[in-house]
Parts: sequence; C-alpha cells; structure tokens
Amino acid sequence: MSDIFSFRRFGLLFKKTILERPVQLFGLTALSLALVFFSYLIGKALGDFESGQFASFIVGIVGGGSFLASMVFNYFSSNAMGSSFLTLPASHFEKWLCGVLITGVIYVVVFLLFYRAIDTMFVSIYHNGLDPNGPFYKQLYEQVGILSYDDYVPQKGIHIFFIFAGAMLLGSLYFNRVGFIKVALILCVLWSGLYLINLLIAKSMIPNTENALPFLQAYINAGERKSGVITLPLGMARTVTYIFNYFLPASLWLLTLQRLREKEF
Amino acid sequence: MIEIKNMTFGYSRKKLLYRDLSLSLGSGRIYGLLGRNGAGKSTLLKNMIGLLFPKSGSITVNDFKPGKRQPSFLETIYFIPEEVYVPSLTIKQYETLFAPFYPRFNTTEFSRYLDELDVRTDEKLNKLSFGQQKKFIIAFSLACNTPVLLLDEPTNGLDIPSKKQFRKLIASVMNDERMIFISTHQIRDLDNLIDQIVIVDEGRLLLNEPVATITDKLVFKTVGDISEANAPLYKEDTLKGLAVVEQNHHAEESKVNLEHLFNAVTENPVLIRQIFQS
Repeated sequence: MSDIFSFRRFGLLFKKTILERPVQLFGLTALSLALVFFSYLIGKALGDFESGQFASFIVGIVGGGSFLASMVFNYFSSNAMGSSFLTLPASHFEKWLCGVLITGVIYVVVFLLFYRAIDTMFVSIYHNGLDPNGPFYKQLYEQVGILSYDDYVPQKGIHIFFIFAGAMLLGSLYFNRVGFIKVALILCVLWSGLYLINLLIAKSMIPNTENALPFLQAYINAGERKSGVITLPLGMARTVTYIFNYFLPASLWLLTLQRLREKEF
Repeated sequence: MIEIKNMTFGYSRKKLLYRDLSLSLGSGRIYGLLGRNGAGKSTLLKNMIGLLFPKSGSITVNDFKPGKRQPSFLETIYFIPEEVYVPSLTIKQYETLFAPFYPRFNTTEFSRYLDELDVRTDEKLNKLSFGQQKKFIIAFSLACNTPVLLLDEPTNGLDIPSKKQFRKLIASVMNDERMIFISTHQIRDLDNLIDQIVIVDEGRLLLNEPVATITDKLVFKTVGDISEANAPLYKEDTLKGLAVVEQNHHAEESKVNLEHLFNAVTENPVLIRQIFQS
C-alpha cells in the first residue's frame, strides 16, 4: 500500500475523523447555519433585504467556515490527543486532505445549499406577501431576488473564506490552544498593517489620497466636494487580484500540508 | 530493531536534553527505561515514534525513519503516552474506527485482553475513569500486535489489582518478534517484568544491560554493618539493616532492586561503566 495515498486508508480516516468528533463537526456546522439564518433575519430587519442576504452570506462562509477550519486540526490541545492523531497510521497527505475536504468542500457545499434554501424561502415569502394588485407590485417584486453566487459580495466572500480558512488551518498547527483567537488576531494585525502601508504608499505618491482600500484603487479628494478614483492599470490589477484570490489561499492551504509534515509534538 | 546513533536532541539549541546518545535495542525483550523527572524519558519515546525529530544523529526503527511518520511505519509501532486519549465512542465503535488501521489487529485477543483487564462496558469511553481508559488503550495496543510497543508511565493511574493484571498481560503477550519499551519512574510496578534496563541521566545513557548481566556484575544485599560491605556503590538504611549495591566479586546470587540500582548507577556513572565494560 502506498505511503502517500490509499483510497482504502483515506476512506477509513475520513470515517474516523467524522465519527470521532461528531458533536464538534456537526454541531459547529449546525451552529454556523443557525447563525446564518438569524443574521439573515436580523440584517433584513435592520436594513433592507440585500443587507440581510449579504450579512448572512459573509457570516456563514467567512465566519462559520473559518471557525470550522480552526477546529479540523484541533488535536493538539492535549498531549494524548495530539499523539494519537500524529501516530495514527495514515499519511500526512491523507490527514491534510481530510481537513481540506471537510472545510473546503463539504462545508462550502452544505452552506451554499442551505443558503440557497433559506434565501429562496425568504424571497418567496416576500414575493407572496406583496399585493399583486398594488400600484408598485412589479417594482417591489423585482427589487428583491435570490442572491446570485456570481455577484460581487458572494464572490468576495468566497475568496476571503479561502484565505481565512487556509490561515486557520495553518494556524491550528502552530498554536496548540485557542488557535482561532490567535490566528484571528494575527489576521487583524496583518490586514490593518497592509491597509496602512498601502495607504501610506498611496499618500506618498498622491498627497490628497483619502483612502486606498481595496488594493486596486485609491480614492482622491480633489477639493470643492469633488473626488476621484485612481485604479491600478489593468495588467497590475489582474496580478494583485490573482495574488489575493488564488496565490495566497493556495499557498496557505499547501503550507498546512508542509506544516503537518514538520509538526513536532 | 531500534538503532539510535549519536542523537542530539533539545527543545532549544542552547539547552540540549541528549548529546550524542547511541542506543541499540533488539526484539524479544521488555525494556525498562529509568530516569529522573525531566531526564527526557518521554522525549526519547517521542523521538522513537516520530513525534519529535533529533537535532542531529539518527534513529531507525525496523529500518524506518520515525520522523517521516509513514503509514507503513506507524502500522508497526504503538505509543501509549502518559495521558491517554479516548473519544466519545463505545468500545465497539472505537474498534470499528481505529482497528482497521492496524493490519495485525486481532479482535479475539482484544476481547480477551479487555476481559483480563476487567474493562467491559457499553458506556462511552470518555465517561470511564482514567484508569479504565488507560486499561482500554493498553488492551487495544496489545491487540494491534505491532512489533514495537512504547509505553510511557503505563501504570500511572492504575489501581493495585490493575497493576498486577498489567504485568501479567505484558508478560503473556511477549514473543521473539515483539519489543516492549516501558518508560517509568514507578519502578516497583515493573519488578519481575523487565528483561533489560536502560538508565538515562543528564542526557547520557548510563546503562543498557540485561537483568542477567546486572546480577552477574552487581550484587544487591542487606548487611548488618557497613564494614561487611565491600565499598558499596550505593547504601541505604532499612529496618532489616543496610541495603547495599556492590560489585559482584564472588558470583553471589541476588535479585535486582531497581530503585537501588538506579541510585547506584546515577551516583557512580563512571564506576558503573568500568564494571560493565570489564
């Protein structure tokens, strides 16, 4: 049997991983989905329909997904559990793939299906609640629709999820305890640091820069209530987008495999 | 079977726990690893299983490099740490999920070991007492039939009858293909069980000898007066007189007292080396 990958061994490992801690994995997923449901309701109540859709999508994919990612390799809070995980006869690649499958595939699919279901339900309730004979029926009907996963916010949410989840997976192999909080703090510091550096660079080149976030644009105050936006040239913008959307998450997820190999406990 | 060559290990580069440690352990024996608290007994075991990696030198276990943690290697070795981990599963569920990873796992033997250690319950394992959990893991590890079994303080948490059951069970499962390496500071628990004694102190290997060789070279006895003893390597007042460890010049027969042996070796490492090299 190969020391890198065997379908039989991977199947056993996957079954073991799921059934060994069902409360943690299923409970967390259920909790995340419940939060999605309530944030949809709260967002809708506090703002408009779209706010509820966006807020709940981000809570579910970025919040729930990252939290689950931080739990997948959470074996190192005790000496016994960490030893048991690392000495189980399965390859590093299989152990890593298990984490990737649970976080990056299963959770995402479950979340997207659940989200589509509640979104469809809420939108239907809204549409059914409208008076077809009312003066603005068509306008009100078209104002609210099912969130398309190709829209800007879901797309950004998914990209951010892959960065955060990758960081959480990696972080849980560095921090044996309270990995989620530690990685979240590091991400906050890194994100703020990057933002400030980006802003300082933009300000040093264009003195009346007001803001420079995201990293593709700088917002300029041109005086007398006039403002403008400077956008990176297309080629460079593509490179930055590529780095943030693909290179960074892929690196984080792959580094997790490397870290798992090097993990001493 | 286990070959350690010039191993250096430390949790930091500045403070090394082991320097140039070389050790060779063969199969068909039960080894007892003795050392003070913090001497690095658990660390040595973790290096053998591949949970820690040597800073320099090498370790091979049945021709595998433990640090790679290949499945084909991990199938042949089982490590029981001092604190054991059992998930929220019943015995049957645990067996179903974990046993298939070990190709030599024997269900009948597992059942027998559980009976012998008096672990029979339908409760979830994590609800059992620590001692029961430990006995369960011991039974499981033995049923895995791995050629190498590493036990870190296995009798910690076991009650007196369980310690006896443990010794009986370990002795009964030994065969020529198997090697059991037990690290402990509760040396009385391992009386009559160990075939070979390994003593480490301050990062050095002080002794790695079979019990038979030890009793050939040293004698353990109780004397009335120190003058009766011939330059003892170790002495201790007891109710019966003075317990001493001395060089066995006259081929006297005696039984190893592990505690006294440990003190004699750690207090006279140079002399002990000379005695065993002669």
